[in-house]
Amino acid sequence: MPPIARRLAGGLAMPLGSVVLAFVIGAVIVAVTGGNPLDAYSGLLCGGLGIACSQGENPALQVSTTIVYVIPLITTGVAVALPFRAGLFNIGAEGQLLAGMMACTAIGVKFSDLPSPILLPMVLLGGMAAGAVWAGVPGILKATVGAHEVVTTIMLNYVAQWLLRYLIIGGPLQLAPGTSKSLTIGPGAWLARVLPNDNSLVIFGLPAGVFRVHTGLLLALVAAAAFAFLLWRTSLGYEIRAVGQSQRAARYAGVSVARTIIVTMLIAGAFAGLAGAIQIAGVDHNLTDIYFSDTTGFDAIAVALLGLGSAVGIVLAAILFGALHAGGSVMQADAGISGSLVFVLQALILFSIAANFIGQIRRLIPGLGRPAALPPEMPPAAPMMTEAAVPPVEP
Amino acid sequence: MSESSPLAVDMRGITKQFPGVLANNHVDFSVRHGEIHALVGENGAGKSTLMNILYGLIHPDSGEIVIDGKTVHITGPRDAIGLGIGMVHQHFMLIPVFSVGENIMLGREPVTGPDFYDHSHARAAIADLTKSYGLALDPDARMGDLPVGLQQRAEIVKVLYRGANILILDEPTGVLTPQETKELFVVLRDLVKSGKTIIFISHKLKEVLEISDRITVMRRGKVVGHLTTRETNEEEIATLMVGREVLLRVDKKPAQPGAVAMKVEDLTASSDRSVPALKGVSFDLRYGEILGIAGVEGNGQSELMEVLAGTRRATGGRVVLADRDITTMDANTERDAGVAFIPEDRRGTGLVLGFSIAENSILGRERTATFSWHEFVLRLVAIRNWAMRLVKDYDIRTPSIDVAARNLSGGNQQKVIVAREMGSNPKVLLAAQPTRGVDIGAIEFIHRQIVKERDAGAAVLLVSAELDEVRSLSDRIAVMYEGKIVSIEPPDTPEERLGLLMTGGGARAGAA
Repeated sequence: MPPIARRLAGGLAMPLGSVVLAFVIGAVIVAVTGGNPLDAYSGLLCGGLGIACSQGENPALQVSTTIVYVIPLITTGVAVALPFRAGLFNIGAEGQLLAGMMACTAIGVKFSDLPSPILLPMVLLGGMAAGAVWAGVPGILKATVGAHEVVTTIMLNYVAQWLLRYLIIGGPLQLAPGTSKSLTIGPGAWLARVLPNDNSLVIFGLPAGVFRVHTGLLLALVAAAAFAFLLWRTSLGYEIRAVGQSQRAARYAGVSVARTIIVTMLIAGAFAGLAGAIQIAGVDHNLTDIYFSDTTGFDAIAVALLGLGSAVGIVLAAILFGALHAGGSVMQADAGISGSLVFVLQALILFSIAANFIGQIRRLIPGLGRPAALPPEMPPAAPMMTEAAVPPVEP
Repeated sequence: MSESSPLAVDMRGITKQFPGVLANNHVDFSVRHGEIHALVGENGAGKSTLMNILYGLIHPDSGEIVIDGKTVHITGPRDAIGLGIGMVHQHFMLIPVFSVGENIMLGREPVTGPDFYDHSHARAAIADLTKSYGLALDPDARMGDLPVGLQQRAEIVKVLYRGANILILDEPTGVLTPQETKELFVVLRDLVKSGKTIIFISHKLKEVLEISDRITVMRRGKVVGHLTTRETNEEEIATLMVGREVLLRVDKKPAQPGAVAMKVEDLTASSDRSVPALKGVSFDLRYGEILGIAGVEGNGQSELMEVLAGTRRATGGRVVLADRDITTMDANTERDAGVAFIPEDRRGTGLVLGFSIAENSILGRERTATFSWHEFVLRLVAIRNWAMRLVKDYDIRTPSIDVAARNLSGGNQQKVIVAREMGSNPKVLLAAQPTRGVDIGAIEFIHRQIVKERDAGAAVLLVSAELDEVRSLSDRIAVMYEGKIVSIEPPDTPEERLGLLMTGGGARAGAA
């Protein structure tokens, strides 16, 4: 095999292996509980990717639904992956996403009369700014007093969740007393759909209005591309990676570690905030109580890990998780298997990724299962500044 | 040593394959009773693998080990200890808060009654050992309070207490001062006189020639020479180790010192543990000279270099670089001002190990106009060209500039740092331990580069724990002791005098 192919295969072995392993164990679980694994997975495949639908589902609609889930997963996945590169664990993407949603809604409600060319950028930038603040606080605390970002970002998740609850239940954004949703943002803040929102038009055999896939998809893909560019093509990205791999070496070389940590968190928060703003502007157009129990920001951790912290990987992993999410209900309807199996599968994928950390732990403690004094060796050449594994995962 | 003495150790056809590397390739290694046998070779030559096999830490793929004429099967250190083999590791296996006695007894504590540590028995046993081998040690001293030389002595006594007849010493002089090294050699000779056999692993050829009876040279997993010490010399050993002729002496013209490049005045700073490490250091560093700083490690050299490089804050005093006060400047600004820094810990602070050579080659310069567009977008082509030039000019042995620094040998890692720091033509070069743990071939190269830098007009400040290195490279030698420069000496100062100054003696004599 040529080195590039071998490296590619080596890089993909871990995530693909994890996914395959999870599906195999999932099949066993289905079989043991009396279901038919083939039916279950064909249901998932139909619901997630619109392939092999047997009971009259509309494939195009399924794809549309999946993409709606994929959009925020890509953007929040980036918000987790970027700090990862700097050696920071951002568990607060959920809080940052909610902050982005709230800012987007507040601006969209307050300035609901403004035309789209002004209001849409305003809500998106407002969402990014709110997310940046939400992540910047842990960043500043980490850089100045050393407060661990895992703790501070988790805590801010709660703050965001309860703030959301306050805003739409009795707070200033509540639609009407007794409801648990907010006012609707002005039409100027709405992201256009991919297909015209016009039920008199029939596309793929259904009224066009049912296809919720929106142009936020482009923004998410741009975010992923911007992430890759930032990381591999800019001085800042270089510094982020240097700090992530060796703070001491970065400091000795004159890189300001504190500044890099703060800037990384600000940018990450902006990505997550953008995800939230896109979600409101593209899908809901108001805040609702379904976001009390939203898990996008946590799924994003799995997406970032499974995607090995690379832009392409994140997009692929987001598609997988989005498809699982969307496919669960079809699987439940078609095969009669509880949609919760989807969460079991997600957990199994994470679990088998985590199992791969063992190699990492072993490398940190020499003499555990391999000779301590291994002489250095020459590896096959690896292309410079291309995607490599995130620090905690062995390539 | 008569030729007919039976063999204490006879390892035959030892082969050990690690993934990608044949660490030992049919190695034959034999040691006679009562001799000091030196095992030399560069990093990665397979010395440690061979000794770890003898001590039972690694199992060979094939080959046979004969101890005192009997074929043995060593499955672990316990077997080795049972056969009378003891190992003193390069990094001591001691517990600093335990007493010397407790450390020596550890794992074999004498007990009285149900389970009480028997102090008097321990003391008696140690007294016995120390008397018979002339190894003075206080069994009640706290291990952490002892100087390194005595800690090493405790390690040796520990091994003897476990009944070792064959002692493996892995790079024992690496951490010692010249005086401590001398004392160690006296101890080793006494041990041999009382019938012990010693295997001495080292890469310091002078010491090998001084202490050993015979020498085995390894290169790339193979034995390339069996030598009798009194019939060989440094050049022959070095040539065998490296596989080509090596210039051991630094070839340099007399210095042409110019104006003062860096003026250090009454500099003070604290160590990581917040104790004063620099207690008023003053000196002038001139263009076109190499000022070497000699001293036992931990006397403030590391802190001095860090303060000068801008990675540690001074608590007082001044550093002036060509009329510019740089005392409080950070590392980045200093680098822009023309100060290059080779840090002493290349794996921890000199390189980002996961970065490729190309990426490491711009560490700290990723925002300069040469390598970035408006401090934002990296100029990848310029970076690659720069890295390829460095690889070529500094003879970095690598299949490509995309190889991660982690996968280079120690010598090549160091060359990457040296290349990066020198490649930008600095005005002042701060070199801390520039050749530590580096192969002879690479040492020769790095020395030549440092001299070249001096000849090009740069001011070089060199810190090294190797007195030989300081003496052969420097144009002036400043001796540091307890955070102060106690004396500045010419390079031809006898080693004895420098050694005395380094340990706090003779300072007054020098000043007078």
